[in-house]
Amino acid sequence: MLEIKNLHVAADGKEILKGLTLSIRAGEVHAIMGPNGSGKSTLSYVLAGRDGYEITEGGILYNGEDLAALAPEERAARGVFLAMQYPVEIPGVTTMTFLKTALNAQRRQRGEADLDAVGVLKLVRAKAKALNVSEEMLKRALNVGFSGGEKKRLEILQMALFEPKLAILDETDSGLDIDALRLVAEGVNALRTPERAMLVITHYQRLLDYIVPDRIHVLAGGRIVAEGGKELALELEARGYEHIVGKAA
Amino acid sequence: MNAPATELVERRAMARERLRTQGVPHRRIEEWKYSDLKSVLGEAGLGAVVAEWLVPNRPSGIEMFDLAQKNPPQWVTAHFARTGAAGNVMGAASLALSAGGIAFRVPKGVVIADPLKLDFTGAGHVRGLLVLEDGASLTLVERAAAADFRNVGLEIVLGESASLEHVRVSPADETSVLVEEVFLRLGKGAAYRGHYAAFGSRLSRLELEIALEGEGAEAHLSGVAVLDGKRHSDVTTRIVHAVGATASTQLFKHVAAGQARAVYQGKVTVAKGANGSDSNQGARALLLGEAAEADLKPELEIFADDVKCAHGAAVGDLDADSLFYLRARGIPEAEARGLLLQAFLEDAVAEIANADQRELVRAALLSALKELA
Repeated sequence: MLEIKNLHVAADGKEILKGLTLSIRAGEVHAIMGPNGSGKSTLSYVLAGRDGYEITEGGILYNGEDLAALAPEERAARGVFLAMQYPVEIPGVTTMTFLKTALNAQRRQRGEADLDAVGVLKLVRAKAKALNVSEEMLKRALNVGFSGGEKKRLEILQMALFEPKLAILDETDSGLDIDALRLVAEGVNALRTPERAMLVITHYQRLLDYIVPDRIHVLAGGRIVAEGGKELALELEARGYEHIVGKAA
Repeated sequence: MNAPATELVERRAMARERLRTQGVPHRRIEEWKYSDLKSVLGEAGLGAVVAEWLVPNRPSGIEMFDLAQKNPPQWVTAHFARTGAAGNVMGAASLALSAGGIAFRVPKGVVIADPLKLDFTGAGHVRGLLVLEDGASLTLVERAAAADFRNVGLEIVLGESASLEHVRVSPADETSVLVEEVFLRLGKGAAYRGHYAAFGSRLSRLELEIALEGEGAEAHLSGVAVLDGKRHSDVTTRIVHAVGATASTQLFKHVAAGQARAVYQGKVTVAKGANGSDSNQGARALLLGEAAEADLKPELEIFADDVKCAHGAAVGDLDADSLFYLRARGIPEAEARGLLLQAFLEDAVAEIANADQRELVRAALLSALKELA
């Protein structure tokens, strides 16, 4: 589903990703681990299409299509979803209005008819309960005054609602206590299907106790320096990044 | 108590004298720096035509008097031409150059649910007077129709515990020159909530001169502007906290695209002895494009103790993080921008208490935002 080949990415004239190669098939969950500054967030932004990142070499194929040629909204409509590390607060737009607008914008791009307010509400309610997202949260302005856990739950609710083909979770565990983490992880696990691929980006092994990946890649200095099964996370936790990164270098 | 009609004649004569000595305001006068009326009017100057008014809806219970008629009632002579006469030259012009106008009275204790609708129309000068007696309550909906040049002077007097919500909409139009001064006097415990939606014209200036004269009086102003092309909109406010325990808030949100210009000048004065007064002023503008301009100038003058006053102003562009967030959720760029602009204006719109008027303003903003390049 996702083929990243020899990806070089620069931001503000500085090269951050330096030849990253990675491929993920439908149904697989991959994790990217790495120390701070290794390029993890850059990778997530490049995949989602944020401005300010320039691909200088290599490329990204998503279901055979050149991902870099698509606008962020086109990627979303084709099934790419990025759960963000820092979901933005938008005063003046209620969460429900935002969900309806986004859902219908994606449907419209796919040539599907809009859902009316009642239809959207039904759909949202059905998914919100499992993630403990209250009606009251949906009425509030988007992410405004939400706790860290509420913001992350809302990200996962969006993932459930938009039913992406490729979900990228950027540091979804950051700022969560253990109960919130478990709730979010359960939400993510419920969305694991044979058709859906996931890329879980995290600094800590903790999240991978709950979302068990098929494959782990260690990112350091803009390149994948080690790969392995889920046991690699335990090794990283026990011996630190220095050990593995140092060995690769 | 009852001022004789000759006193009105005197007040007009004083206004004529002030107009003669001060002349048409221009950009070298600090208060008119961003709105050069003299150059826009050119040789035609202020003229001496009398503008008109329409009353699309007058709920029962409201008394009305045509100011061009003889023998005004006591409530007119008591209040007409009393406020704002001292400082404001355009206020003097509307008084000096118009023989007529329209006056309304809501009697003591009368609460009117249905809005009073008042449109000033045509070119020239015109005056208005609205008196809410003690305990009266009203919603005034005002719409500024297009005209080559119109200058309106509207006086509003709120008696003890009277309450007025004022919604003024100034539609987009490339050619009009519209100036309006609103003079307000608030008695003890009176409350004024004013909302001004401006879409800009060749030159558009709304001045609000508000005197909080009774303890516990409150004025809450909010405004939005969506401007494109070469349109201009200026809101200039002067609020005087004359006595203690008075409150004022101001929240102005402007969006300017193209070569448009949004102006907010707000001066709050807390007079000596007006202790325990609260004032908050906020003005923000978003500029869409290199040639758009916003001039935001909040000012505070405090001569009292124990006051809580805050003011702030900021000019910027749409937030890139927010825009990316919405687009990454599948919302196309133009739609995402529209949504963020609406969101930016929303807290000022939400201040409108009258639900029908709030929805009308929201809809007008939405269609103006859609037309932005």
